[in-house]
Amino acid sequence: MAGNNAKHKFQPKEIQNMKSKFFRALFALFITTFAVAAFSAHAAKVRVITTLTDLADFTREIGGDHVDVFSLATGIEDTHGVPMKPSFVPRMNRADLLINVGLGCEHAFLPALLEASKNPKIQYGEPGYVDCSVGIVPAEVPKSTDHSAGDVHPYGNPHYMLDPVRAKTALETIYNALIAKAPQYQADFTRNRNAYLTKLNAKIAEWKKQAEPLKGLAFVSYHEHWVYFADRFGMRYAGTIELKPGVDPTAHHIENTINMMKADKIPFVVREPQFPEKVPALIARQAGAALIKLPIMPGGVPHTETYIEMMDYIINAFVSAQQRSH
Amino acid sequence: MIAHAQETIDSDKFKSQLQQLQQKFEQQQQEMRESFEKMMRAQQAEIDSLKKQVAATTNIASTHQAVADEEVKDLKDQVAAVSEAQKKQRPNEFNPSIGLVGETVFSYRSRGNDQTGSDRPGGFDVFQRSVELNIAASVDPFAKGYAVINASADSETGEATLGVEEAAIQTTSLPYNLELKAGRFFGEFGKLSYIHDHELPFVNRPLALDQYIGGESRTDGAQLNWLLPTSHYISLTTGFGAGFGGDSPLNNPGSYRRLSGFNYFGRLSTYFDLTPNVQLETGVSGLINPTTQDRGGAILQPDGLATFTENERQVAGADLKISWVPLQNNQYKRFDWGSEFLYSHSKFLEAPSGDPTAPDAFQHFVGSLGAYSYMTYKWHRQWSAGFLFDWVQNPMNHSDETFAYSPYITWATSHWNQLRLQYTHTDHDPMSGLRADDAIYLQWAWIIGAHAHGWQQR
Ligand SMILES: [Zn+2]
Repeated sequence: MAGNNAKHKFQPKEIQNMKSKFFRALFALFITTFAVAAFSAHAAKVRVITTLTDLADFTREIGGDHVDVFSLATGIEDTHGVPMKPSFVPRMNRADLLINVGLGCEHAFLPALLEASKNPKIQYGEPGYVDCSVGIVPAEVPKSTDHSAGDVHPYGNPHYMLDPVRAKTALETIYNALIAKAPQYQADFTRNRNAYLTKLNAKIAEWKKQAEPLKGLAFVSYHEHWVYFADRFGMRYAGTIELKPGVDPTAHHIENTINMMKADKIPFVVREPQFPEKVPALIARQAGAALIKLPIMPGGVPHTETYIEMMDYIINAFVSAQQRSH
Repeated sequence: MIAHAQETIDSDKFKSQLQQLQQKFEQQQQEMRESFEKMMRAQQAEIDSLKKQVAATTNIASTHQAVADEEVKDLKDQVAAVSEAQKKQRPNEFNPSIGLVGETVFSYRSRGNDQTGSDRPGGFDVFQRSVELNIAASVDPFAKGYAVINASADSETGEATLGVEEAAIQTTSLPYNLELKAGRFFGEFGKLSYIHDHELPFVNRPLALDQYIGGESRTDGAQLNWLLPTSHYISLTTGFGAGFGGDSPLNNPGSYRRLSGFNYFGRLSTYFDLTPNVQLETGVSGLINPTTQDRGGAILQPDGLATFTENERQVAGADLKISWVPLQNNQYKRFDWGSEFLYSHSKFLEAPSGDPTAPDAFQHFVGSLGAYSYMTYKWHRQWSAGFLFDWVQNPMNHSDETFAYSPYITWATSHWNQLRLQYTHTDHDPMSGLRADDAIYLQWAWIIGAHAHGWQQR
């Protein structure tokens, strides 16, 4: 107690010193905050978060210098399994737009991240929440949302971005969202969008021509990624190695798949790098089919940084596998 | 203590009503979806044919083109409207959501509960620990509400009674990155005290949390969370409540409670990406109840004579979790190492003769430490295994230490169906009057309906 009393004498001055230091620090902090705020207001870039890299590529193409884009996925993730990192939260907190695939594709990580972001502008239902599935008629809508059908495709298949024609709907959605957010850049956005659309349309024509020999050929894949892709390029999607979306195969299902592939002479097994190679390789070997490793979004395998590079890669991989099998 | 807020509800009637509502809703949803899809397909076909026409007429008169463009635009707008409508008939995507969790623990313990201090009998046991109904929905544009109702079996009678584990309102659009929660909820302290039993990485809650917090961090109160406006993730939560800890005894406020009769708690946490695949999260927590008003009454000590009556409660904690979550295949491979250190510093009125009013009764603080550390490795989509180490000093006597060692293996056929086998060896200090024992647990947990991939369980 005596020690405490002795100390007491020195306290007022010390406290005053500390107080003034504290307020000086606080003042400096405020100034910095305002300076940063003023600077960013001047720069006035539209801050966009996308869940996946294909949407990020489209946003950069349309937005050009007027957007600052961050994708939660780097490209190598499973579209349904991007890790929820708290480091995403401050970025999402400041975002103007959150561009996502929709159809429940991101249900395993987006709702919790959105809540943690505390950003009212990008919550579900707000203009900043940009659902690119609007305007897409989903395939394979389950008859019920009962979990006996797995859980990752509750509103139909969300992998429409792997069809470049359906992807144009997403491009349009992003374009409209950017204009709504920053009408002052409308002319630039329109010019960029038109230029990209011209490029993409030419590419689509090229891909269709390249994919001509693939018409009618069948393939299986690990996860149900390729329904829209197969539809676009006239291929036959013969099923998945997964038992149900998000549920690994049973031994029985693997055997059935091999038998079905043998019976139907199915030439390809597609393996997405998110899933282990063992089972797809086994099935390909047993069924005498070619094993093709394909990205499911830009960045999924090396040299697929943009959407166009990724589609080039996918078409080329199929075509060269088909040529090898002859 | 749970009975404190329990009400028995006619649960069968409630369930069947719920089922009827759900069926009706799903049926309507299906019908709407089908009709909209039909419309969409028809209109898409119209657009496509119009587009073809437009393409074919490009070299005809430009007025023609303008008309066709107009029509395409109109149709596009219509499609957008239909899509918008189509979106509206899947409100389940975010809410409202209803889910039910069932959790059964089959166990064998080598000693009776007179020697282990457990509230479950020794020998063979089956414990229906959770029948947990989760409901969440938006209250209005500014808040959401949720409730977790649990009908767990009473350890003595086996009778299931409905208890409200959580029922709270949480704001969704406060300014300055603030979020306010009020009602009954699991207050933020440490890392595992606000996780429901069936979501723990192992079968039982760590001993330190059990003894210092009182199991889950349930409180009736309010808590404010602030996400700091920095580019680095820092989260600060503070709150207060009457009581803290689901199994912890309540204060005895008598006829008048001062503010010091509340529990005040908080947590400051931050996070670092060590590499793209390695995450580190750490935090510090505190809990203080300045006047516990003889919480739990006079507690008889192992010597069978002395009693301790709690007057003031303080708990501090530090937590650290390092996770290897490979970006590419984290559904198949993952490693977590989580640890928490707790320090309990509480003031007791010690009555050596058992009479708190006797002149030999005296007040003093007891400082006790506790910790747990676990590692879980996942090597398959369905399989993971780990080891939990527990250590805790009795909050009323820090020389009375308990150690526990628990290897466990988990088989999850999906997110909603999980079996876990765990062995636990517990060592008590002889002064506690308890004896070392071995236990085997088989936990089976399942979920139907909505399941949230929660932020706290990540
Ligand atoms: Zn999928």
